[in-house]
Amino acid sequence: MEPWNEIARKTLKEGDGSQKIQRRQTLGGGVVRGGIVQRCPHQRPARPSLAALGQNALPQHHTRPGTGRVMTPRPSMCHTSSLQTPSDKAQALQISGSDLLSLARSLLQAWVDPLVVLSDSAYTLPHPAHNSISNKIQELQEHSKILGDGLDVLSSKMGPEAQTLSLLPYTGNDIGQDRISKLINFHFLMSCFRRDSHKIDSFLKVLRCRAAKMQPEMC
Amino acid sequence: MAVSSPSSNILLLLLISSLDWLSTPGCAFVSDRDHTNPSAPLEPHFTECISREQETFRCWWSPGTFHNLSTPGALRVFYFKKESPTSEWRECPQYIHSNRECFFDKNHTSIWIPYCMQLRSQNTTFFNDDDCFTVENIVRPDPPVSLNWTLLNISPSGLSYDVMVNWEPPPSADVRTGWMRIMYEIQYRERNTTKWEALEMQPQSQQTIFGLHIGKEYEVHIRCRMQAFTKFGEFSSSIFIHVTEIPSRETTFPLAVVLVFGIVGILILIMLIIVSQQHRLMMILLPPVPAPKIKGIDPELLKKGKLDELNLFLSGGGMGGLSTYAPDFYQDEPWVEFIELDTEDADSGEKEDNQGSDTQRLLALSQPVSHHMNIGCSNAISFPDDDSGRASCYDPDLLDQETLMLMATLLPGQPEGGEASLDVEEGASASERSKRALIQTQTAGPQTWVNTDFYAQVSNVMPSGGVVLSPGQQLRIQESTSATEEEKQKNIKESEDRGDEKKQKELQFQLLLVDPEGSGYTTESHARQIGTPPSSPMPGEGYQTILPPPAETKPAVEDNQSPYIAPDSPQFQFSAPVSDYTVVQEVDTEHSLLLNPPPHQSTPPCLPQHPFKALPAMPVGYITPDLLGHLSP
Repeated sequence: MEPWNEIARKTLKEGDGSQKIQRRQTLGGGVVRGGIVQRCPHQRPARPSLAALGQNALPQHHTRPGTGRVMTPRPSMCHTSSLQTPSDKAQALQISGSDLLSLARSLLQAWVDPLVVLSDSAYTLPHPAHNSISNKIQELQEHSKILGDGLDVLSSKMGPEAQTLSLLPYTGNDIGQDRISKLINFHFLMSCFRRDSHKIDSFLKVLRCRAAKMQPEMC
Repeated sequence: MAVSSPSSNILLLLLISSLDWLSTPGCAFVSDRDHTNPSAPLEPHFTECISREQETFRCWWSPGTFHNLSTPGALRVFYFKKESPTSEWRECPQYIHSNRECFFDKNHTSIWIPYCMQLRSQNTTFFNDDDCFTVENIVRPDPPVSLNWTLLNISPSGLSYDVMVNWEPPPSADVRTGWMRIMYEIQYRERNTTKWEALEMQPQSQQTIFGLHIGKEYEVHIRCRMQAFTKFGEFSSSIFIHVTEIPSRETTFPLAVVLVFGIVGILILIMLIIVSQQHRLMMILLPPVPAPKIKGIDPELLKKGKLDELNLFLSGGGMGGLSTYAPDFYQDEPWVEFIELDTEDADSGEKEDNQGSDTQRLLALSQPVSHHMNIGCSNAISFPDDDSGRASCYDPDLLDQETLMLMATLLPGQPEGGEASLDVEEGASASERSKRALIQTQTAGPQTWVNTDFYAQVSNVMPSGGVVLSPGQQLRIQESTSATEEEKQKNIKESEDRGDEKKQKELQFQLLLVDPEGSGYTTESHARQIGTPPSSPMPGEGYQTILPPPAETKPAVEDNQSPYIAPDSPQFQFSAPVSDYTVVQEVDTEHSLLLNPPPHQSTPPCLPQHPFKALPAMPVGYITPDLLGHLSP
């Protein structure tokens, strides 16, 4: 079976092909392309950016310091940013298995509610591929549930430290009213989810390879 | 672990691709499009930022058309890392000016935290909003190493072959600790063509290429990327695969020739031997075929042209015909001979002694009877022939005891209903009246037995393999000391049907006289048949005999009636034997009776169709049950 993300990518590529690229200027100097605002330097000489080369996949997660430009207000931080997680390999290999599991479970738990919000709003998202996006989000919810159950079982075998959960409540319950803010907020939430899901995957993978020390082929 | 990948990637990145379309570089296009003047100044900008192993990364910049800024140090790199609300722009930790590169080592690299890059000259800041990224998204792994191939097989036609390609993960990528998960993509093409064939991506360190052609040279290379991300690393250097035709025909040719010549030579030798009529060798090479033989039949009859005689013989007519015993009863059904009666009583030992002695006596008296029963063996004795390949003959000694016991217990006591009662009523003695009543009641009960011939009421099967028969018979055995005598009587009764009736009667009479204590018999009944009313004591309390019918009544084995003793009414329960009466359902391979065959295994409930629900509770893809033991808190 294909990896999950590959399926998602292929599905969305189909959606992508059917959409017409629209461009128009926005106030903030951005361009709406494919329904998503792209912030572009307005009346500036051509300057290829890292984004142009596909370097980034995330919009800014923070307010632009010191630029003084007017731009559409953006959410700044993911709701799970307050959780202290290892941020590089050395830290990740250092912390105990129980802590890794606890972090993974906390992150997973933190996304239950936002996924519901995403699922509800995906259907009405002003995007041509909103149907497939909605389907994918539902699959994500199911996968999350299954993984969460499995991790609960695992944590019960690993001791009390693995059982601790950090609460990371999601306060936003609406992704916006107008089209642009809807798209922006949706995009932002999805990028947060993507980051957190990669965290969870990495932590669990480290845990697995640690458990499979005697059997490297299982790692 | 391909199966585990869907669930292991669950959280992954639903939308790598959605974010692809969400984050397509629109600005640049717009800017380019708007900009029609080719000589418009190009600002200093970053060309690329790449991480090789998700632990460090580098960024390269270009001064653009601002050539005055191309001197080293004219442009400075600043980055912004949002770690805390008080983060600020910092300068590049390590410059490599020759390359216009900024290197971020392990201490300065954090995963999952956004970086933004900025170029500053003396008085200008060149910054693009979109120059922000997180390190995991810019990872391009190094190419795998140690690429090599082995030949798997060649097709029977000799035109194509399969090859197994294997490699090592890139040394910089830490797959051993699980920090990176890498997928590999093999591409191959014929030499001097332009189009690469790409195989499906997979995470293993080996892959098979099918269907390469003999004689053609192929070029193969490989690249990899992080699982659930989009950026591929560089291709490895190519290896070349070339398999030429294998000259296998020549080696097989002489082998075939040798084989053919060998076979021909052997055939010629055999022909010579046959032709030269060397008798001994003939015997070795072509052993004689045995003539047809049937047990108990004169071989002469089997010769051609004597079919009528054979039929006559087989049907039992004429002298020396096959006896009309029913040997098939215990000969064709092998399970019968292996059942041993196991009287599981505490005082069965005593009975066995009695039984043994009685049986011996019976054997001595009724030798011809048993002899008749051993139809197969007896015929073997009477018709000796050359062939020794006869099927196992019963051990005569063993069979005697067993058949006696067998017939004693297995042949059901079939009271002939009214006839038995009739016989009883013919009796004149008053002391028989009570028994008569019992007999009558008894006959009413086991009527059901009549319909099921040769069914033994098996009530229990002993671990030793013996069969414990129904309570009806058990009670009889338990109660009467002369139960064995009953059996003997039954045997005698049965043998009546089989052979010389008069002879049997004489035997009975003799037996009765010999055994004065035979308290189990209503000897009057026997005497009635025989014609002389003996005056043996009446049976004691506790049992009765069912009188056997006149011997002339019915043919064959349906008539066999073993006289069942009817115990006293309080003890006797008609319903019990009937309810315990079990039909033998099956005979399994070990010749044991299966009275209640095991019920068919119910099919396990079908797994639900939904693939997600089929996943177990354990986090599939991350931890398997055998790894669970190695996890330490």
